[in-house]
Amino acid sequence: MSDSTPSFESVLAAVRAAGDAASLRALEREQLGKEGPIAALLASIPTLPPESRKEAGQRANRMKSELAAAVAERLQQLEEAQLAAERSGAGFDATLPAARVERGSLHPLTQVTRELEDLFTSMGYTVLDGPEVELDWYNFEALNIPRDHPARDMQDTFRCDPAGNVVLRPHTSPVQVRAMERMRPPFRAIAPGKVFRQESTDASHEHTFHQMEGLVVGKDISVGHLIGAMKTLLRGVFGREIEIRLRPGYFPFVEPGFELDARCPFCKSGCRVCKQSTWIELLPCGMVHPNVLRAGNIDPAEWSGFAFGLGLSRLVMLRHGIDDVRHLLSGDVRFLEQFR
Amino acid sequence: MKISYRWLGRHVDLSGISPQRVVEDLTLSTCEVESLTPFLPHLANIVVGHVLTRAKHPDADKLSVCSVDCGEGTARQIVCGAPNVDAGQMVAVALPGVELPGDFRIKKSKIRGVESDGMICSERELGLGDEHNGIWVLPETLKPGAKLADAMDLSDWVIEIDNKSLTHRPDLWGHRGFAAEIAAMHLRPLKPLETSLPPTGNGPTVPVRIESQACTRYLALRLEGVQARRSPDWLRALLFAVDQRPIDLLVDLSNFVMLDLGQPNHVFDATRLDASGITVRNARAEERFRTLDGVERRLEPSDLLIASGDKAVALAGIMGGEDSKVEAGTQSLLLEVASFHFATVRRTAARLALRTDSSTRFEKNLDPTLPLRAAGHYVRLLAQLEPGLRLPAPLCDAGEWKDPARVIELSCERVRSLLGVELADVHIADILMRLGFGVKGSSGTLYVSVPSARATKDIGIDSDLIEEVGRIHRYGNIPEARITAPIAPPPRDEGWQRRMLVRTLQDRLAGAARFHETLSYSFVSDAILAELGATEERHVAVINPIAEGFSKIRRHVMPSLLATLAHNRRMAGEVRLFEIGKGYQPEYSSTRGEPREVHELSLVWAGPVPAKGARFDAGRFSQLQGVLEDLVRATGRQSLSWSAPDPASLPSWAHPGRALVGRAGEGDALVTLAALEPRLAARLGLKDELASDVALAELSLDVLLGAEAAGPRYRPLPVFPAVKVDVAVAAPRERSAGELAAVLTRAGKGLVRDLELFDLYEGEKLGAGRRSHAWHVTLVSDERTLGEEDIGKFFQRAEREFTQLGAELRKG
Ligand SMILES: [Zn+2]
Repeated sequence: MSDSTPSFESVLAAVRAAGDAASLRALEREQLGKEGPIAALLASIPTLPPESRKEAGQRANRMKSELAAAVAERLQQLEEAQLAAERSGAGFDATLPAARVERGSLHPLTQVTRELEDLFTSMGYTVLDGPEVELDWYNFEALNIPRDHPARDMQDTFRCDPAGNVVLRPHTSPVQVRAMERMRPPFRAIAPGKVFRQESTDASHEHTFHQMEGLVVGKDISVGHLIGAMKTLLRGVFGREIEIRLRPGYFPFVEPGFELDARCPFCKSGCRVCKQSTWIELLPCGMVHPNVLRAGNIDPAEWSGFAFGLGLSRLVMLRHGIDDVRHLLSGDVRFLEQFR
Repeated sequence: MKISYRWLGRHVDLSGISPQRVVEDLTLSTCEVESLTPFLPHLANIVVGHVLTRAKHPDADKLSVCSVDCGEGTARQIVCGAPNVDAGQMVAVALPGVELPGDFRIKKSKIRGVESDGMICSERELGLGDEHNGIWVLPETLKPGAKLADAMDLSDWVIEIDNKSLTHRPDLWGHRGFAAEIAAMHLRPLKPLETSLPPTGNGPTVPVRIESQACTRYLALRLEGVQARRSPDWLRALLFAVDQRPIDLLVDLSNFVMLDLGQPNHVFDATRLDASGITVRNARAEERFRTLDGVERRLEPSDLLIASGDKAVALAGIMGGEDSKVEAGTQSLLLEVASFHFATVRRTAARLALRTDSSTRFEKNLDPTLPLRAAGHYVRLLAQLEPGLRLPAPLCDAGEWKDPARVIELSCERVRSLLGVELADVHIADILMRLGFGVKGSSGTLYVSVPSARATKDIGIDSDLIEEVGRIHRYGNIPEARITAPIAPPPRDEGWQRRMLVRTLQDRLAGAARFHETLSYSFVSDAILAELGATEERHVAVINPIAEGFSKIRRHVMPSLLATLAHNRRMAGEVRLFEIGKGYQPEYSSTRGEPREVHELSLVWAGPVPAKGARFDAGRFSQLQGVLEDLVRATGRQSLSWSAPDPASLPSWAHPGRALVGRAGEGDALVTLAALEPRLAARLGLKDELASDVALAELSLDVLLGAEAAGPRYRPLPVFPAVKVDVAVAAPRERSAGELAAVLTRAGKGLVRDLELFDLYEGEKLGAGRRSHAWHVTLVSDERTLGEEDIGKFFQRAEREFTQLGAELRKG
């Protein structure tokens, strides 16, 4: 061993001070490799006097294991330091934007309609569809609204011929008698769809909007059942118990007829949505008028039922805070893409 | 309609029942209340003043300087411009700080150099009339400093009712009807109202001839010794509260009776009528009549007229005539109170766009017993205010009318079962009696007599009575109940299948395909139809459209999407839209008149034109074609097979040279796919910076629903490895990709598992009129591992056939 060879202690110190795994591995190769000083030491043993050989061999092996242990220890220290540095989150920017996932969207009316369809089908309701271009018979006559009835003025109906034989339905209620023609009681049905009113439009009025009719016919169906069904509906829509109230409302095809108000889900003591009243007028409903049951060939002495008409467009606006109903059917992608 | 709280108090004791409580009661038991507002709230701040002295303004001829005692100890100096102000008067004073209607705040100020510490008000300034020729001179009995609203009984609340919610309640078109509701709810009696006709003289009655069935009752009564003078303040205030402008005593009382009892009536100046009396008849064709609003109306034979001699004097139940109206000098009246047929009045009022307080009430089908009470009410009120009133002759009561009062049998058990609440028989009977129904019977069955006021149309069957019980009991007192019934899954009928298909299509499109779903109006504009050249097509159309050019209902969904395309391209650049909806085709109407309804999915994909050198399938046409194949696969139908359509059969939006028709198995065309018709593109605004690559497709849900289901079939996994080779072929341009691919399939002799075209190329290297096609070809055998030799044979067979087609394999 020449003087230029670093002392064993300084090698150990260098191992313990190694800054990273790569330089440590290099040092390990240099010292413990075939060309390294310990290998040279071992190789030189046969040239030593026999009495020194044992001791020299032991010394070399001790150095070898001591050095290997130091390397292993340092390596572990370095790994832990690196893990600690990684775990510290250094260099992580929590405000970087997420990678975008592009996808299309379903119309918010589709989304709410699906939810309601799923809710009601789970309770044994059938989902029905009715034509937008409807016969006067289903729209008026069968609904206990004969010609000359003032209620014909209540809905500003689009007529397709001067005689008014064909109209654009102003409500989804014509599906009621169509349902009775298809199904025998007892039955439960809903019918979502488009309706039309001949009125000028503004942020809260549209000539075309969406509604959902509900109809239940059975033995001894009562106002109590209607209340129960409406509370279930609101639980489904708002995800929690919502207080309701029924008050008299006049619609010729129900008797008694009601307006159903829901306690405003957005405030405790009045807000813009409920016009400071804490109640939101949500849907007209009532017990099916005996004349309507008769029009559907159902004996009102044997069966009774309730019906309701939920404004889907209104519900969508309430749910998403949409301030202008005209956006719904505008076809504007900037509106649609918000409901991904 | 507006209801005055003070007015209600004339009919029922409201002590302890606040206006807010009245509103709540009406809301929960009767009708829809739109608002509750204090009547002229600023009146609470106006005080009574006593004009002590009046002197001329030193600098202005028309102004007076007054000293006014407002009950404050010292008098105030107020400058007043009214000609009628004078010392000794009691006047209405607005003190500084008070705000009057029209954002007018009174301030202490100098008028032409003289200090004025308040304002003496006219009725108009207070919101109580049109009178502005002078200040309002109050009764001398008032005390200076008193609040005007208290001193003159002016404080009131106005309840606005939603008229629509009264459509079925002819009894609620006057204050007494509402008072009866409140009385029933609070178990209080209605105050008695004497309406019998006072004794009359024995002169000849007014002759009345009724020539039309639309008039079932006509009362006519002469009143002499009257004057069209100003009504008393209490009457004016009540009329003001409900938005009825006071005119003169004779007309005001006529309006008062209508608003009190709900019975319209009319007063004519008797001297301006013909001596022959009154005839109720239909209008003659082309007959004209000037109503008292000064408008000349062109009438039709379905209109009902009141005539006197050969002249019409009133449009029955709607409006009187100008020539016979009460005027300043009127001293002799003919009072008309009648029953007119509701539909006749409604039709005429609607046609003439002349809805009046009177016609609105007649339309509701009024109680035919009411006219007699209304006539007595008018006469008695007038007698109190007009000491000189004389009735020279008995009332004429003409017409044939039936009392609609009836008896309805009501099962108490049915009341309980329909309402879903336990109510004792006596409780049911009690509610009905409080509402004025007569009730007899026992052991669960009630015989309910319906008074005429409720019987004209509201109460006809037992359900109507059940509503009466329910609303007074209050619906909030009915417990929530659950329906118990067996539940079965809904039938898997056509409607169900269509809904499931629609959901699948929506989900696929809104997912990986990145389309936005839109919903459109069913109306299709004449403008877009003109762009499409589809003006001549038959459409369902409405006769009362919302606007000119928006009367037609779409036959297909596509025009709705095209209408928004340019706007969306401008806003969003890349547009992927779909709509699932209905179209209506009147040429296929049912015998009942229902037009055929088609269900369609329409898709639009538009964006910038792809760059030169982009991959051959980078265009929207290819991309949309892929989306459609994926959609149809997702619905579990056979894979789409495409063919070139007859251009004549294509819809007008389709590019005649770039269109395909797709079928899923046998049967009708399911999909039409096309690029946008190039001339239409420009007309829709897709030019210049909006020049677009547009693909469109229309898929018939009706055809899809009928297409045979063919879900994926399992194929055993390959035992031997697949070999993938690339094949490039240069061929004359007329050789289609399909033709060349078929060569490869044949050359594989059943080994070709997949063929994927990945490049199309034209260029100088190939020579003119030639195009290079390149495929990834996957070959698999079910029997062995394919070797070099198999691949070589595949290429040899392919090359042989390609050569026959004038094509050659490209090596490299
Ligand atoms: Zn609120």
